[in-house]
Amino acid sequence: MSATPPFRPGTLASAALDRRRFLGLAGLGLSAAALAACSGPSTAPGARASAAATGIDYSGVKPAAEITWWSSNPGSSQEVSQQIVDAFHASQPDIKVSLVTAGANYEEIAQKFQAAQSGGQLPDLMVFSDVWWFRYFMQDSIVPLDPLMDAVGIETDDYRDSLLADYQYEDSQWAIPWARSTPLFYYNKAHWAAAGLPDRSPKTWDEFSEWAPKLQAAGTGVQHAFQHPALAGYAGWSFQNNLWGWGGGWSKKGSFDITCNSEPSAAAIQFLQDSVYKNGWAGVASNDSVNDLTAGAASATIASTGSLVTVLKAAQFDVGAGFLPGGPKEISPVCPTGGAGVGIPKDIPKENQLAAATFIKFLTSPENAVTFSKATGYLPVRKSAKVDDIIAAAPQAKVAIEQLDVTRPQDWARVFLPGADQEMAKTCANILTSQADVQSELDGLKTTLETIYNRDVAPNI
Amino acid sequence: MTALLDPTDPRPAEQTSEPRRSGPLSRRNLVATITTGYLPILLATAVVVLPLVWMALASFKSPGELLTQRPSVLPDSFAPTNYTDAARSVPFGRLFLNSAIVTVVGAGLKVVLAVLTAYALVFVRFPGKRIIFILVLATLMVPPQVSVLPNYVLISSLGGQDTYWGIILPGLGTGFATFLLRQQFLSLPLSILEAAEIDGASHWRRLTRIVVPISTPAIATVALVNIVFEWNEYLWPLVIVSDPHMMTLPVGLTLLANSESGADSYGIVMAGTVLVLVPVLVVFAAFQRYIVSGLTQGAVKD
Amino acid sequence: MASVAAPPMEVPGAAPGSPPAPRARTRRRRRPSRRNRRDYLVFLAFAAPNLLLIAFFTYRPLFSNIYYSTLNWTLGSPYATPIGLGNYQEFFSSPGTGRILTTTLVFTVATVGGSMVLGLLVALALNRRVRGGGFARAAVFSPFVLSGVGVGLVWLFIFDPVVGVLGAILRAFGSSSPQWFNDPTLSLVMVIIVYVWKNLGYAAVIYLAGLQSINKDLLEAAAIDGASSRRTFFSIVLPLLSPTTFFLLVTTMLNSLQAFDLLRIMTPLGRGTTTLIFDAYLQAFGGSNRAGYSATVSTVLFALLVLLTVFQLTVLERRVHYR
Repeated sequence: MSATPPFRPGTLASAALDRRRFLGLAGLGLSAAALAACSGPSTAPGARASAAATGIDYSGVKPAAEITWWSSNPGSSQEVSQQIVDAFHASQPDIKVSLVTAGANYEEIAQKFQAAQSGGQLPDLMVFSDVWWFRYFMQDSIVPLDPLMDAVGIETDDYRDSLLADYQYEDSQWAIPWARSTPLFYYNKAHWAAAGLPDRSPKTWDEFSEWAPKLQAAGTGVQHAFQHPALAGYAGWSFQNNLWGWGGGWSKKGSFDITCNSEPSAAAIQFLQDSVYKNGWAGVASNDSVNDLTAGAASATIASTGSLVTVLKAAQFDVGAGFLPGGPKEISPVCPTGGAGVGIPKDIPKENQLAAATFIKFLTSPENAVTFSKATGYLPVRKSAKVDDIIAAAPQAKVAIEQLDVTRPQDWARVFLPGADQEMAKTCANILTSQADVQSELDGLKTTLETIYNRDVAPNI
Repeated sequence: MTALLDPTDPRPAEQTSEPRRSGPLSRRNLVATITTGYLPILLATAVVVLPLVWMALASFKSPGELLTQRPSVLPDSFAPTNYTDAARSVPFGRLFLNSAIVTVVGAGLKVVLAVLTAYALVFVRFPGKRIIFILVLATLMVPPQVSVLPNYVLISSLGGQDTYWGIILPGLGTGFATFLLRQQFLSLPLSILEAAEIDGASHWRRLTRIVVPISTPAIATVALVNIVFEWNEYLWPLVIVSDPHMMTLPVGLTLLANSESGADSYGIVMAGTVLVLVPVLVVFAAFQRYIVSGLTQGAVKD
Repeated sequence: MASVAAPPMEVPGAAPGSPPAPRARTRRRRRPSRRNRRDYLVFLAFAAPNLLLIAFFTYRPLFSNIYYSTLNWTLGSPYATPIGLGNYQEFFSSPGTGRILTTTLVFTVATVGGSMVLGLLVALALNRRVRGGGFARAAVFSPFVLSGVGVGLVWLFIFDPVVGVLGAILRAFGSSSPQWFNDPTLSLVMVIIVYVWKNLGYAAVIYLAGLQSINKDLLEAAAIDGASSRRTFFSIVLPLLSPTTFFLLVTTMLNSLQAFDLLRIMTPLGRGTTTLIFDAYLQAFGGSNRAGYSATVSTVLFALLVLLTVFQLTVLERRVHYR
């Protein structure tokens, strides 16, 4: 689909470049060049403008009979996903969905999607996480869902607003929330009792600073009162809680203005560093802080609601769950959303897009939202979902669902800048595990993030 | 296994296996045999095997047993819960069949191609052989990531998605096996082949009657390593296969991984890993007879 | 299989010196050209299938990759801007590049050296006919069979300072677990240990096959002459193994330079463990999806590998002793 157009002198930036490229290609031998080119991206300017997405009209289109759904099965969801697919088949005879495991994580599914972009078999429906969908948007490889939602009658009113808002850009909806989570404050109730603490999560980090020494001294055998989550995958996400609580953020609300090294942001990160080095009541998880809590090595941690099912299954003690603590500037909302949604690729027939949207409607129906939530620990994405069932299975889930009302959309710097999450995690690792200077690390991070913005985002939006 | 793990009784083994040809030597070096033979084997086996045993034991443990600061060695029960869970989410029979087909055909063709190429590179006259060899060798230097995308485009344009040949074909050209066999063939005594040539034996005859039989250990090694490669190949089958019925075992096993919470699925993933390992160990047991073709040859003496 | 050992393996004397290749070449030149033409055809018939497959599925992608490395291209985007050598300029002027090259060097030297030396020691031990040797051979080889993901997970749980068995053992002795994952230097040590663990079985099996093809009469003759075992090893066994050693040196080095599965599972951020290939992966998939830049890193890696191998072939292989 993206064959390089024929060599056209003058259309490229400079003649010298043309010559170099031409000579380079000639040097490889014509057949090699031709073959190489057909798998590569187009380098012709102007191609982008002509390919700009326009609203597609789905009236009169008949849904395709067979569609493919690529999932990386977040939260071990393969079984329940297949269950819902089977229920879909039972509910209507026209559309058949085949669920394909397209990778073990979001990177691998992206790898496969990327390969398919260059002329292979695309999925009709695909799972992508909060930090991935914007890349697909910038690459122009997914469709806006608004016309499809109208066509199949997906009512946006009943979806949780904050979850839906995560996939909105330029007044369009680019994905539908599906396997969604928030961070949650988990604690060991036995340790809490031993330290004489009230059976709830701390309201603020200041309060927890007072509790922490009591927990350390309670003789429970913990290594640390609190375990910071493993920084890869978590730092960029859950530390937004601290940044917001201190009045800072990775970037300004709803903008690409990077504020990760501002005074409040630095104070928030300094608090985290002090918790490890100066005050010594916190450790940093090596792989998974939930494991460390479950093993009794820490009294509390912050982890995804998606870990709830695991914690309850594995822990030998009563697990408490609560809202994320607030900071000195902001008590609420200080909780980010996260997890994955489902979206539809651009370069597939309209019929398939329509069929995929029909399935999305079923997949995220209030009933199926409950089914899915119960099996995985992800949050029900619908307001009208009957959550009693979920809460009956795990009372802690009630807190997670209630916390959904006080979530805040994530900072753009994390979710819209490709690779930013990784950079944030590296910076936090230097600060929290190598005791690097907070301000200079954050200054460096700002430079990196701005480079990413200018190089990878600004030209593509 | 029990014999190996029983170091108290090495003497009979030594005497029964070596006395005829090297009695005096072995008596003189009995202590050396124990220190240079048994001890390193025991040590190496322990270092290598203990983590694997740990893995096998973990495949029977529940999340609660895994997530503790004081892990116990044995699981509470040897009920194969993780195995049945794994089998429930993954159609092992089908995946196993796909993997077996891909591995047997892929590794088999690779070995044949490599034997032919290595023979040609060593024994057949051709201008610029050295350059050709270097180009073959250079294939080992191309990171596999690099070839995924262009090969995907080519294979899918030929209709190879979700087919066995689509999975197998791009990996058939082999630099590794050719290189190993070339090294082996170079060390063959040239005089035998020259004698055969004078007797008028064709290249084909020299290859099949002389070179291949002498080189059994090396060819068996190549076959074994290629079987392992094919069996474990992950990235390419992941990309080229979308039909769940055509998936190979390593790809199917990703169904078991949980990208959200590792510990939840750790026991199940370990069960899956054990299931992938076992068939290859069986194959190894069959192959090592040829690699260690020592029935008529003795061991290295010192 | 009786034929395996049947053909007499002639060993050219006690001083098995000059490689046969040059001798053969001079003789061949005198042969009639009709003969040569027939040989050329045989060569093509034997080698062409493999060579064509290699050209299509390895070289063609390689050239595509070199082309991508001249683009500013975001992974998955159908559009890209040609920027000539811009990516290379960035790579060679980036402050992180020095550290990546150092990490690559340390990882490669340690893993290649570790798996070859240990592999040879294990092969020597396995080559003795001892009871249980068959099991030991299979056992030592088995980690090589495991997928990088499985191995990564096993060791992740062994090294984990809290729930890992290593930490539990250390705590039992009143010590505490090192921060394998949070300390960049220890992370590198950890992945080296695991990599050597996984790959020494491969070196051992290849060495074992090499040891098997050593003529036993030579060794017995040496023993009868009263040569010490150390002397026999260093002046007979090791030289006779040199083709195997050379093969292993080349292949383990190439494999080690391309290892990243294990690194990705055990150290997802790559702190202290970012080698060239891991960087190429992180650039394309872990982070910013910079396919063009990632292609540049792979191309640099390829160039480096070619240089190293040409060095090995021209300098080292001359010292390799073929019978």
